[in-house]
Amino acid sequence: MTSQLLKWGLIAPSACVLLGFSACTDLEIEEVDSIIVEDDGSGQSAGDPEQLVNGVYNGLSTFTDQANTYSLFEHPSDELIPPTRGVDWGDNGVWRTLHAHTWDATHAQVLNAWNTLNSRIFNTAEILAANPNAEQEAQGRFLQGFFMWHVLDLYGVVPFREFEQGVDELPRVISRSDAIDIAIDQVEASIANLPSAGPGENFQGTKAAAYSMLTRMYLNKAVYKAADPAGPYDHNAADLQQVIDYADMVTAEGYSFDEDYFGIFEAGSDKEPILVSEQGTPQNRWMMTLHYSQNPSGWNGFTTLADFYNSFDPNDPRIGKDATPDGTASSGIGTGFLQGQQVTDNGEVLIDGRTQQPLVFTEEVGLAGVPTNAGVRVIKYHPARAGKYIILRYAESQLNKAEAQLRLGDAAGALETINLMRSTRGTPELSSIDLDGMLMERGFELYWEGLRRVDQIRFGTFTDTWDEKTVTDPTRVLFPIPQQALDSNPNLQQNPGY
Amino acid sequence: MKLIFHQPSRGLRLLWLFLLVSTVGTAQLSITGMVTDAESEDPLIGASIVVTGTTTGTVTDFDGNFELNVPASATSITVSYTGYGTQEIPLVEGQTAYNIQLASGELLQEVVVVGYGAVRKEDLTGAVTVLSEEDFNKGVITSPEQLIQGRAAGVQVTQTSGEPGAGVNFRIRGTSSVRSNNNPLFVVDGVPLSGENTSADGAIGGLGNTSARNPLNFLNPGDIESINVLKDASATAIYGSRGANGVVIITTKSGAGGQGTLTYETNIGVAGISRRYDILGREAFLDAYEDFNGASARATLDGGADVDWQDELFRTAFTQSHNLSFGGGSEGGSYRFSASYLDQEGIVEQSALQRISARFNGTKSFIDDRLGLATQVTVSDIHDDNVPITTNAGFEGDLLGNILKANPTQPIYNPDGTFNQVSQTEPNPLALLNLYEGYTNTLRLLGNVSAEFAFTDALSFKSVYGIDRSFSSRTDAQSRDQRIQGVENIGRLSLNDLQVNNDLWENYFTLNTGLGGAIDFQGLLGYSYQRFERIGKGSGYANFRTSDLDIMINNVSSADQVNGTGTFGNSFRTLDELQSYFGRINFDIADKYLVTATLRADGSTRFGSGNRYGLFPSFAFKWRLLEEAFAPEAFSDLGLRIGYGVTGNQEIPHNQYQRRQRYGNYGYNAGTTTIDGGGLGTVAFANPDLKWESTSQINAGIDWGFNNNKISGSIDYYYKSTNDLLIQVTSAQPAVQPFVWQNLDADVINEGVELAINYIAADGPNFTWDVIFNVGYNNNIVKNFGGLINTGEISGQGLTGAFAQRIAEGQPLYAFFLRDFGGFDSEGNSVYPDGDFQQFTGQSPLPKWTGGLTNQFGFGNFDVNLFFTGQFGFYIYNNTANAFYTAGALANGRNVSTDVVGNGEGNLNAPDVSTRFVEKGDFVRLQNASIGYTLPINEGVLSNLRLSVTGQNLFVITGYSGQDPEVSISKPINGVPSVGIDYTAYPRARTVTFGLSASF
Repeated sequence: MTSQLLKWGLIAPSACVLLGFSACTDLEIEEVDSIIVEDDGSGQSAGDPEQLVNGVYNGLSTFTDQANTYSLFEHPSDELIPPTRGVDWGDNGVWRTLHAHTWDATHAQVLNAWNTLNSRIFNTAEILAANPNAEQEAQGRFLQGFFMWHVLDLYGVVPFREFEQGVDELPRVISRSDAIDIAIDQVEASIANLPSAGPGENFQGTKAAAYSMLTRMYLNKAVYKAADPAGPYDHNAADLQQVIDYADMVTAEGYSFDEDYFGIFEAGSDKEPILVSEQGTPQNRWMMTLHYSQNPSGWNGFTTLADFYNSFDPNDPRIGKDATPDGTASSGIGTGFLQGQQVTDNGEVLIDGRTQQPLVFTEEVGLAGVPTNAGVRVIKYHPARAGKYIILRYAESQLNKAEAQLRLGDAAGALETINLMRSTRGTPELSSIDLDGMLMERGFELYWEGLRRVDQIRFGTFTDTWDEKTVTDPTRVLFPIPQQALDSNPNLQQNPGY
Repeated sequence: MKLIFHQPSRGLRLLWLFLLVSTVGTAQLSITGMVTDAESEDPLIGASIVVTGTTTGTVTDFDGNFELNVPASATSITVSYTGYGTQEIPLVEGQTAYNIQLASGELLQEVVVVGYGAVRKEDLTGAVTVLSEEDFNKGVITSPEQLIQGRAAGVQVTQTSGEPGAGVNFRIRGTSSVRSNNNPLFVVDGVPLSGENTSADGAIGGLGNTSARNPLNFLNPGDIESINVLKDASATAIYGSRGANGVVIITTKSGAGGQGTLTYETNIGVAGISRRYDILGREAFLDAYEDFNGASARATLDGGADVDWQDELFRTAFTQSHNLSFGGGSEGGSYRFSASYLDQEGIVEQSALQRISARFNGTKSFIDDRLGLATQVTVSDIHDDNVPITTNAGFEGDLLGNILKANPTQPIYNPDGTFNQVSQTEPNPLALLNLYEGYTNTLRLLGNVSAEFAFTDALSFKSVYGIDRSFSSRTDAQSRDQRIQGVENIGRLSLNDLQVNNDLWENYFTLNTGLGGAIDFQGLLGYSYQRFERIGKGSGYANFRTSDLDIMINNVSSADQVNGTGTFGNSFRTLDELQSYFGRINFDIADKYLVTATLRADGSTRFGSGNRYGLFPSFAFKWRLLEEAFAPEAFSDLGLRIGYGVTGNQEIPHNQYQRRQRYGNYGYNAGTTTIDGGGLGTVAFANPDLKWESTSQINAGIDWGFNNNKISGSIDYYYKSTNDLLIQVTSAQPAVQPFVWQNLDADVINEGVELAINYIAADGPNFTWDVIFNVGYNNNIVKNFGGLINTGEISGQGLTGAFAQRIAEGQPLYAFFLRDFGGFDSEGNSVYPDGDFQQFTGQSPLPKWTGGLTNQFGFGNFDVNLFFTGQFGFYIYNNTANAFYTAGALANGRNVSTDVVGNGEGNLNAPDVSTRFVEKGDFVRLQNASIGYTLPINEGVLSNLRLSVTGQNLFVITGYSGQDPEVSISKPINGVPSVGIDYTAYPRARTVTFGLSASF
């Protein structure tokens, strides 16, 4: 019968085909749009080290954001306030709580900064595991120290994952005291093979960048070694001498104070930029403070506090320059502190498009329920002239040196260092300097550059009160470990007070 | 729900059996007869007549006549014909002539397509809702899911917005996964579709991301014959790894009828916005602004015009559709060809969807019907005209946000005829729309070829090869004349292409045999291979030297590409495979006890080598109590079903188990002054332990009917537990990515009850009235979860970083997590009695109750259908109100809703995320109301002519203050999706459609 024929003629091959399918695919697929990084056990296969180095330096653009890393270093301080203006800048309270020191472990920016900075540390582990050449290895070490410093300063611990460790392994946790030693070791180990370069658009680490970073690390080392993160801090003389020595090495690399203070933040040749971010722009620095009705139309956000503004010597050129409206774009915007009546690019009285009143920036500013015109605005990077965003600059290293001199008892040396800077800027020289004066001087020079929180902690004023900041809780010197980080890594322990 | 009025027939099973049983007989009797169509009384050519239980048979001749010698022992003959119900005719002693009428379509009422086969409805052991053409929603229907929206118990279909072609959230028995795709597996004519998006994504410069399109738009609803929803695990487990969210089986129409039919259908629809936004007019706006800012400010703000932006941007939208199909069938095969054209205008100016589709279905059998070949192919060409309505616009707002907030006193145009654009933060809505050009073109082909061979009458083998190809290209261009940050003076263009190539090859054996006694056995054993390839590229351009949108798009060198910031792009290509072995056994013991067991093993390249294979078993039992002697007389149907099964889910991004690096995307910075990114970075960790998410489900149901099924229905209880939750969790830093996919040791529980009732209220010759009711209750909760995940991004002015939902232990998925709002203080600032922090509010966006009620009336040649649907016990976060309807917005010169005036809020209040903006979403909607008239036709070329008028969304009863309570804008955070947030959703329409259908 045909059916028999068909039966055996077709069942057999069909069955074979069916069963044969078990080998139809081994489910191994070829990746054609990404590079698989196989771990062969040696830990030396993380990819192209040059591209990995470039990737981390590209990531420096994270510092240009007004939120997350920048805001954690700046907003809790006495030089910046993020007012909620009616419907603007409420943003779920993230800004208000940073200023008022009432943040908690679920704060979005506390989490975001943790994730960003720590992932950069992992990227540096990848560089070091990628068979780097001597300079690439030096860049990896420099960057590892650089980012570890940020994490240990903000959070008090540094989790660390070796390159070989899989996703299922929990990173170990390094104490603040150990982490600063490791960070210093990494940066010092990087010096020999980093290139030497003078001031300019340095997109990657140089010897000067390492020296500058080391002045910051050694100056704050006492903070990180303290039994109580809120102090007291016992500064070690040898560490302070390192600050001075490294600061002088920065100078020896060809850096010096620039006569044109605001010119430092402009495009063109300057004497101070040590490391800048190739990617990203300083745009957020002006957008976050300029009013909607200015040109460019900003986000009408952050201002400085009246007390900080009034602490300036009106004759200090660093307080700013008036606008020179000439009809060109953004020429109605001055530099430094913008206070009082604002003008258009043609020099006319600027009207607030919201309230239809002349736009006058007042000194008084609150934290919530704030009118659109309240608060003195701050422009260091001018929208029409800005250069690359500066990560490290010369003045900081010299201020670190002066402070180290002062803390070592060499007040005369400190005064000399400070006055060299002031005279170059065209600021009247000081006749004496003490620690209070030193903190103020750092404010005059470095305002809104993302270091104020660190300085206030070191000088012990972080737990003082100021406008709209009444919390004096000493545990606020450390941010909490983000709740989601605690959930993801049981090796982490929450900081006291959270 | 399908009504089945007749008593169950045993014909089909006997058909399975009849060739296996050898008959012995000597005495012969000759009978004659004629087989005709019950309705038209036309003779049926080639109908099959066999002596029941034997292989002895014949077919009707050209006039429908037959002659057959039957053994004396024979008691009945079985008559069958493709597309008609099979009938068993008892042989009456002494009668030799039989005139037999077969009813068309009856077969479809009886047999339910399930995975890899079909079963009689009363033999279903799982929870399956069967919907066919007369159950479908009518009117302007763009995609198949809309056909059954509200019609099936426990099935929640939510259009994410009113945009033509908008995406759909399709939830069967609740939400169980925490990933972007919770939709069920769609199987079209046996080809399972990929769960991933098939249209290219886009972003509009300065305005945010656009919504996903509905991937099923390519199917012409007019081609669909039935949609079966497999709800419980015993029904879906045959689809293993892809069955966890349920399975929807779509069967397209095939040709029938010896003479062939030609059908033309057309619909003309007229739509308008169902509910206008209640915002202030010119004077009321100026008065309210003056109250905050004074008279002089009023004078400055007043632009002198009186513009109703809603009138300018919303329109009466016309839709036309045409369907032409012809087909026919005979015993040896069938064919059907259809072509359709749809041109749907959206109610927002310039938004539209056009689709041209063609479909061919054909079957043919050879070698004494032992070999059956079939093919189903559909090709569609879809053109979407996009408008700049986005899901996450910031303080500037998108098109819809600006319709709401635009100053009604500002003139549309400057005296010179250009658009009056006051500032970057307060765009002119008409400029947003007209200085933008966006469209998506998608070409999709879905087809399969299958061959089925019956080795014996018991054993057959089927091989199916299916392909699914989609080419989608999206263009978004913004003129440099548009005053938007990052667009003004430079222009922006983004081009995104997505190509999807999916292939399927399935082979399976089916065995149907008796096992002696009263036991029937059906077995299935098969292998399936699927391949999913996605290829995409995207590029961005700026620095245009022209304002002409056409030139920008079609001559992209008009973008200055020399000076560094003109252009950037990236591409990707990924491949995934799924390899499966599956089997099923069915036992039917004395028609009383039905047992089904399935097992599927799936191997997926989504997981590392140690965890590729998952095993998905199921078991179900049905006891047809009606067949028992003790069944009370009152019952006309009574059956008890119990089932258990495990299904899986693999819908995670490509290759998350190997450490991989890619050069990252480039992108413009906010000011479009530099291009950033492009660094080599790690995109995935070595994560070899990643494995299937599995869902186990218990189902118990009762099918019942009384009084000859005058009232019938089913009730089901289910308990669904999803474990090894595949979820993106925070990486333990330091890590390459902030989030990593993991199998969480947490459970998502969905527990519920579904009730479906069919009631024949009247069944007279001149008046019929059927009532069809369904209701589903579902309770969702997360258990054993130690972490917490925030989602539900809230967008708008002063709401950066805000969120409204949190996933945590003991809460339903996507539970609202908000400040507790207690009104305003004397300053008009918000008061939060519990403190200025977010907490769980006990409000969930997931409906507890969903239901539908259909009333069908027939008066002679008229028919009337009223369909109400509703969802209850859920809340909506009104992000639109949060972002736009506040006193602060008003004081800043933005228009607001009328209820903001005098609500006690001060102009300096920060409208933080709080219970102030949460509202009950409960609604009842008259989804569909139609009146049809079928012309009585006796002679002539026309065989059927029907006219109808259908109203869609005629009214909604709801307390929700937004435009429509059925809304869900995608507001994910870090890839974790959200539900129940309304933000500048494309408004919903009310549509009246005039339809005509003629058959020849």
